[in-house]
Amino acid sequence: MQESSIQKKKLEIINDGGQIVIIPLSSITIYNANEIEQQFSFEKLKGEVHKITLNLSELTNYDSYLIILINEIKEYCSSENIEFELTGLNDNLQNFINILLPKQKETPPIEHKSFLVAYFSNIGEVVRIIFSDLFKLVEFIGEVAKNFLLAVFNLKLIRWKDFPHHFLNAGVNAVPITSLIVFLIGLISGYQGAVQLSQFGADIYLADLVGISITRELSPLMVAIIVAGRSGSAFAAEIGTMKVSEEIDALTTMGFDRIQFLVLPRVIAVALAMPFLVIICDLVGIIGGLIAGLATLDITISSFFAQLNVALNYGHVFSGIIKSIVFGLLIATIGCFRGFQVQGGAESVGRYTTASVVSGVFLVILTDAVFVFLLSALGI
Amino acid sequence: MADKKIIEVKDLTVRYGERTILENVNFHINRGEIFVIVGGSGCGKSTLLRQLIGLETPTNGEIYFENVNFTSADKKQKNQILRRFGVLFQSSGLFASMTLAENIALVLEKYTDLPDDKIEKIIEMKLDAVGLNGFQDFLPSEISGGMKKRAAFARSMALDPDVLFFDEPSSGLDPVTSASLDELIVQINRGLGTTMVIVSHDLASILNVAHRIIMLDKSEKGIIATGTPDELRNSPDERVYNFFNRIAS
Repeated sequence: MQESSIQKKKLEIINDGGQIVIIPLSSITIYNANEIEQQFSFEKLKGEVHKITLNLSELTNYDSYLIILINEIKEYCSSENIEFELTGLNDNLQNFINILLPKQKETPPIEHKSFLVAYFSNIGEVVRIIFSDLFKLVEFIGEVAKNFLLAVFNLKLIRWKDFPHHFLNAGVNAVPITSLIVFLIGLISGYQGAVQLSQFGADIYLADLVGISITRELSPLMVAIIVAGRSGSAFAAEIGTMKVSEEIDALTTMGFDRIQFLVLPRVIAVALAMPFLVIICDLVGIIGGLIAGLATLDITISSFFAQLNVALNYGHVFSGIIKSIVFGLLIATIGCFRGFQVQGGAESVGRYTTASVVSGVFLVILTDAVFVFLLSALGI
Repeated sequence: MADKKIIEVKDLTVRYGERTILENVNFHINRGEIFVIVGGSGCGKSTLLRQLIGLETPTNGEIYFENVNFTSADKKQKNQILRRFGVLFQSSGLFASMTLAENIALVLEKYTDLPDDKIEKIIEMKLDAVGLNGFQDFLPSEISGGMKKRAAFARSMALDPDVLFFDEPSSGLDPVTSASLDELIVQINRGLGTTMVIVSHDLASILNVAHRIIMLDKSEKGIIATGTPDELRNSPDERVYNFFNRIAS
């Protein structure tokens, strides 16, 4: 009988003529897994092996890693047609193994798709999601419009108590940041315009350039983008969190209409706040352009305003104001819509808050393009 | 021979401002037992649990884990002790943005050097133990409340802790799911020898699983009874008797 015995720190391995006995000594845990793997690997089993016995009689400290070790030895034995035996089990160890040894998996077979099929089915899925999202948005806008019309005939339907809070947040509190941004936009466009106009001796036309671009386009657009980032996202997060904490369900079960209670006060507040913001930003933006002109061109304040008086008409100013109301309606509606789409937990709130800003800004710019065509067709 | 006591609480007092929640509370938890903390609403059960798992520091008193003062332990020592704890929160506390597998892998990746394939095997093993094998890639939002509790149970067992803490494990669960969770607690306790500390007021569940119970009382600001389920059910103290026999006072 040939016997070789190697005393190791964590494992004792006895090879008795092809009959291998592995005896873990004291501790087999996830914290000493690496040491065990360094001491023992199947590649180290030399010669012909008929049977592997795992003797756990010396084991005092163990955790899930023991199960991994048992499984690996079992799998190796089964693949190499080697007999496997587990010995030295006490009741606690037997219970431990019974609980943690993985049972046969009952997972359904995975359907493997070819690359092309998977690629096109992914495209199809994305298109389906976009159209389904669009359909739901149109449905939601319809619901808001219907409730708005109902509220026109019965003002009590709307929760006016929330209106001042939303008007203050979306409008008054947004004045500093929107003013600053549009002032800088006026300054930049005034400076850039001045450089070009001075080459043709058309300095005074800076008033036309700044006045019309600010009132018609830049002011409503910039205000809308900032409000989408501030208020649209806030609405999505507020309503989303309410949905997660089942507050919306509570409202519904108490007989409140979610649109009248939550959406209309926000939509009306933003739609009414937008024109005020745009008027303030029109003035500030023009002043920005004026400062750029005074700094770089040979014009005076009075000549600038005299030219502005000639260049600007009511059409320019009112087209910007009308646009801002539509932008406000869109931003608030999208924010609320995304909030209602939240499902699950915090991660979903974050996802739809981001989506509210992205889709809000996208729809604002798309609507602005539509306005450009419409107003030019109408000659305004 | 190892000490029978695994956790010992000495003269624990918890005050929030002027309000005293617990005063001079003393008890110990034995290794391998299912220890239940009960009491009416507002008696300080959850406060006591938060103290035991180190989320809050007591106003006075000490908590010992295997004779090491957990209350005054430095951050490193505290982390070493916490690694031997598993906690199942009332609302599961699973990370919503991670799959069940990722939730369980988190601590394994942080505290061990195990390679990915071994971590995967442990995840599979733990999910299998709670009856959720095959749900590795599901997000918490995609499974039911009972399954969330089971998944959180699997996560709390990731590092094979010595002590598992449960905050109202049966809250929000139907009686059948609640009973199966109880069964799982008992099974894990027997099989793995894990000490279980449960905060609950679900009487059916308490009587089903507990080896030893302490009852807290709001007006006493501490423990009014300690014993086995049978001892408390037949307690001479009217408050305890009424609680365990569902008698309105």
